[in-house]
Amino acid sequence: MTITTMLFVSEFDELWFDALQSLLGLRKAGLNHVVFLHVIHREKVAMRRGTGYLKQEERKLREIADIRFIDWAETLFEEGMEVGAHIAIGNVVPKILSVAETEHVDLIVTARLKKGKLGELFAGSETSDLLRRAVKPVLIYNYASLSGKVGENPFEKLVLALDWSVSSEKVLDYVLALKGSVKRVEIIHVLNEKDIGKLSKMETHKLERENKKRLDEVCDVFAKERFDARPHLYIGNTAEQIERGAAEHRATMVVVGTRKSSVWKEKWSGSVSHALAERSELPLLVIPADA
Amino acid sequence: MAKKVLNVEDDADIRTFVSTIVEEIGHIPILAKDGEEGMQKVRGERPDLIILDILMPKESGIKMYHQLKSDPSLRDIPVVMLSGVSKRTFLRSQVALTEFGDETVPEPEAYLEKPVEPEDLSEMLNKILS
Repeated sequence: MTITTMLFVSEFDELWFDALQSLLGLRKAGLNHVVFLHVIHREKVAMRRGTGYLKQEERKLREIADIRFIDWAETLFEEGMEVGAHIAIGNVVPKILSVAETEHVDLIVTARLKKGKLGELFAGSETSDLLRRAVKPVLIYNYASLSGKVGENPFEKLVLALDWSVSSEKVLDYVLALKGSVKRVEIIHVLNEKDIGKLSKMETHKLERENKKRLDEVCDVFAKERFDARPHLYIGNTAEQIERGAAEHRATMVVVGTRKSSVWKEKWSGSVSHALAERSELPLLVIPADA
Repeated sequence: MAKKVLNVEDDADIRTFVSTIVEEIGHIPILAKDGEEGMQKVRGERPDLIILDILMPKESGIKMYHQLKSDPSLRDIPVVMLSGVSKRTFLRSQVALTEFGDETVPEPEAYLEKPVEPEDLSEMLNKILS
């Protein structure tokens, strides 16, 4: 699992060229092709009473996007990279998924996607929708890092949150393939405080020991590949503890796996990846189980 | 005699613009929406001239140009670059590809930066195709 092609989705007011530049460290892991995508929301050019379809507005918005992409592409072309661009009209998530498929991308990079308040109430955010439907890893890029500014290489110090599921194995494979771009990996497992509450002291210690052993085994796998990896066990709310771990170890990015579940199950029972996607201050890499 | 001119361009308006000019000067336009389709058309249609954009989906004009000029059977087809990307960037990108292990390739027959006047394009095409 390597990253050779990256889809960079930009609305221009939320994700800029410096974010892309900070990801070029992935060239050491094989990145050589960047595909730009800008989606013009349908309502910006939709039919209006008395004016019809806003063709002139569409042309203007396309031109603005084209100029930005040419500017960004020139820098990448001069570095010997392959660059492609798509400017589309419609709903952002279906367009992202469609371009990701036709361009065979290995990673989708986007800022947090916003929906109207009413839309979020009934259908969740665009980000959740993307995470639910994507079969490729998605990097939700956040500018507000822990140090207050965007990191130079978000892949430098990773927090890897593992729950020992199939998606955790995918997370491991993915990060191991990033050798060269990653300097340090903090491996985190969170024991759920509700589950711990039901156990005796002896059972709790046993559970802790078992999980520490599994964490050590994972660290050994990374050590064999010459990664600097350290194990950490936390107890509490999973999403909160992952964020705490990221802060404690001054991580530059959080990496989690995600499982397939229904919209309603996610909406009412919650999902760690979706919770982190909505509030994490750090860039968040979400790797689907079927990636 | 009418000659085949392949225009590789993702913008439908510019494809229409170029094909109108090609027809007006008595030649046959062939169209492709990206570099990948462009290479298929080159191999299938064997055009006499290629008008090539750079920033496109699937495969860029930078890569397609390098493929054309690295293939002995296609190297002689003249190429006119028509793009919003500057000539300086284009030339630097070809040098960068060489640094990454590809062989050096010759410069294109002409480099036109968008937007191009219809007279300039038709004059350029007539000069190369005559």
